[in-house]
Amino acid sequence: MGDMKRNGARATLVLDGERLAFAEGETIYEVADRHGRDIPALCYDPRLEPFGGCRLCVVEVEGQRNPVASCATRAEAGMVVRSRTARLEERRRTLVEMVASENRDARVDPLHGYASQEMGALLDRYDARPGRFRGARSGQSRIDDDNPFIGRDYDNCISCYRCVRVCAEQEGDYAISVANRGFSTQIVTEFDGLLKDSACTFCGQCVQTCPTGALADLKALANRDVPGETKTTRTICTYCGVGCSVDVMSRGDKIVGVLPAMDGPANEGALCVKGQFAYDFVHHRDRLATPFVRDRETGELRPASWDKALDRAAEGLGKVVAEHGRHAVYGVASGRAPHEAAYMMQRFIRAGLGTNHIDNCSRA
Amino acid sequence: MPAPANDELVARWKNRPAPLLPLLHEFHERDGHLSEEALQAVADGLDMPIAELFGTVTFYHHFSREPGCGGRPRFCNGPVCRLAGADEVAADLRAAGHDPAPMPCPGRCDEPVPVLHGGGVLTGRPGGALQSGPSPLPPEPPEGVRECVFAGIREAGRASLEGYRSQGGYEALAKALRDMSPGDVIREIDQSGLAGRGGAGFPTGRKWRAVREAPGGPKTIVCNADEGEPGCFKDRALMDHDPHALLEGMLLAGYATGAERGLVYLRYEYPETFGVLEAAVAEAEGAGLLGGRVLDTEFSFGIVVRRGAGAYICGEETSLLNSLEGRHPFPRNRPPFPVTHGYENLPTAVNNVETLASVPPILAQGPDWYRGLGCDGHAGTKVLSVSGDVRRPGNYEAPIGLPLAELLHDWCGGPPPGRRFRAATMAGLSGGFLGERDFGATLDEPSLRARGSFLGAGGIIVFDDSRDMVAATHNAMEFFAEESCGKCFPCRIGTQRLAERLNGEGPSGFDEWVDEVADLNETMKETSACGLGQAAPLLTESLLRYFPEELRRRMEEGWGT
Repeated sequence: MGDMKRNGARATLVLDGERLAFAEGETIYEVADRHGRDIPALCYDPRLEPFGGCRLCVVEVEGQRNPVASCATRAEAGMVVRSRTARLEERRRTLVEMVASENRDARVDPLHGYASQEMGALLDRYDARPGRFRGARSGQSRIDDDNPFIGRDYDNCISCYRCVRVCAEQEGDYAISVANRGFSTQIVTEFDGLLKDSACTFCGQCVQTCPTGALADLKALANRDVPGETKTTRTICTYCGVGCSVDVMSRGDKIVGVLPAMDGPANEGALCVKGQFAYDFVHHRDRLATPFVRDRETGELRPASWDKALDRAAEGLGKVVAEHGRHAVYGVASGRAPHEAAYMMQRFIRAGLGTNHIDNCSRA
Repeated sequence: MPAPANDELVARWKNRPAPLLPLLHEFHERDGHLSEEALQAVADGLDMPIAELFGTVTFYHHFSREPGCGGRPRFCNGPVCRLAGADEVAADLRAAGHDPAPMPCPGRCDEPVPVLHGGGVLTGRPGGALQSGPSPLPPEPPEGVRECVFAGIREAGRASLEGYRSQGGYEALAKALRDMSPGDVIREIDQSGLAGRGGAGFPTGRKWRAVREAPGGPKTIVCNADEGEPGCFKDRALMDHDPHALLEGMLLAGYATGAERGLVYLRYEYPETFGVLEAAVAEAEGAGLLGGRVLDTEFSFGIVVRRGAGAYICGEETSLLNSLEGRHPFPRNRPPFPVTHGYENLPTAVNNVETLASVPPILAQGPDWYRGLGCDGHAGTKVLSVSGDVRRPGNYEAPIGLPLAELLHDWCGGPPPGRRFRAATMAGLSGGFLGERDFGATLDEPSLRARGSFLGAGGIIVFDDSRDMVAATHNAMEFFAEESCGKCFPCRIGTQRLAERLNGEGPSGFDEWVDEVADLNETMKETSACGLGQAAPLLTESLLRYFPEELRRRMEEGWGT
């Protein structure tokens, strides 16, 4: 590699007969991925440190006795790599059949979470033979964890530890970890308790990286009987100023769930509990459907037309400005209002009233 | 004296090297278990996430989390002790009012059945009282055999500094510090052909050179004394009876590599050995052999001993490093290797006890002498721990390349009266086994690899013709399933599936059984992340190679329970 650098040329390796350039520090998996090789994996999440657990991404490297995990092996100049030999594909099929044999269900509703179809897709891709390697099942579900957001159905866990790693590496919560060894491995909080008694912030990132749906988005799953095709709409979470990209899932007029956008420049798939789970207000029965105006006599709030309500607001604001000046007004936009409304609010306060006293509830 | 408070214990260890395990041991010894309050104090004191600490604690066999469990006697139900009546010893313990718990092989196979109780190791035979006493010395080798690490081990007083020095101990260190550069030491070790005696067989000189040349520091010598392989008990003998040889070897490794820190990672199941090593370190420190300015030179080197907590995988060097660092003891991905990214991510030589103990005699007598100890062009010696169905079990330091049959018949006295040999495991359990028809093999890697096995750490468990090899294979596979760390899929699931298949819980047709098992074998061997998962299927492979008829008969006649 040193020679390569002195010559100013980019280092290359040979992948499946093709010479490919790579940047220093890239793994074989990353190089292959960039060139459209679809190397299978279950413990891989590009946002996380390479783990090397599932071994599905193994590739043959000339000069190495055994295949190596491409996710955890750095590309080196002159490497000769094969990613899809008959032997590798046979081993991968066996691995997929092995991992399927430890779970109750391989097929789950996509509403479980962003990555929940990965396992099922691999069963199809490798035409896994049902019942092969039949034996004891691993993992114990925590049906006693009655939190409203995250289902913990560990009967479907494959011990890839993506949840544990995303919690530590992305969210920094360290709320969950790996207990026991081997086939008895179990994902736990401290002292094997409930999520609400742990450091969990219910950000939901564990759910979204789970490749089997063992961790489930319970709020989305509650909508599984809503009829219609699931449509996703890319938008920005309204709750605060970070600007996390989300894909809102809807069926008909109903929001059925929120997916983090893995390509969101501000969040790269991360969300917090509000952005991930707090959308109930949209369809809530208590939500206001019409303006209300306070009766001057009784103080009671009464439904009113928009015209009447706007007149009343204009009157009140005008009076304050006339008596105390324009800086006596302070506008606070709601984090639950759409971005367009928030934009209009600040235009109204700044341009309409002539003051900079505008804020948003998420920051205030 | 009142028991120390949480704060005192934390303060005692917080700023010392590798504090987590000793701190947990202190709490465990104080309370008899690790309470939630204790774990919270440790997490706060060492600034660790509590969930991570909890998960890591559950990884180790030794730590109880319920009050009262810590005091139970633990008896070995490993492969050798099962042959020697482990179940009967457990029944005797129960009859005496105890509540014994099984434990994996604690490395006393030359004196079965060991029972770990009250901070010490006792040994029992079925129907007999438990005995305490020093662990067995290596038996005398046949006339004329030349030894390296065992050459002085049977001398009286050898374990003391005075005894060791009176037989030339620490003279190799003095010579190296006086007359040799670190490069000279590495060159001599290179020339001797010494290679990792923990089983991996990596050339020691090359490893040391890589550490010496690696940028960054401080550098560390880690002695892997986590001898957890069933049927291996050689490091126990070396440490119990010749601890200063290990310390001198570590000092020489430190001098050669430029390391100034030494850590011994000792398996939990060797409590007496811990005392021996601590005493030896204290003696060496008192004599100016350890610490600042060793023997009044510019070279400084300190050694601390840390106890494991019962986890076979911690004998894998990168799991061991994670364990020392207080992390979850999964193996690390390699590369990078410990020589550049080892303890605390700094250059580290991880060497086995036997490897390190070989260094002083090699430097004292020269690389050619050591090379010449082997047979037929193989360099040096290997300690073999022989146990099971032989008349004289024990540790034997044999020339590499010795024929297996010669070892078992001439050195170990042959099979028990009226019996014939049937099979012998290699590398403890990790090498699977050789059937009697392959006992012509010589004990060196090329010969054994050609037969689908390997020498590894040198444990050989012998089975005579009264033994059920399907049951023996099942027991061995259960061990690997129990000890699989859970990081990689092929090992975590594969060891479980193989254990089930060896117990009648798999396909009932022979052909389907073989098809599944062969597929598991190949996949585990080729794709497992570390040696455990790569080696475990050698057991099922050897069963299919040597005893297919026994297997077929078992399937036809039923597995029983």
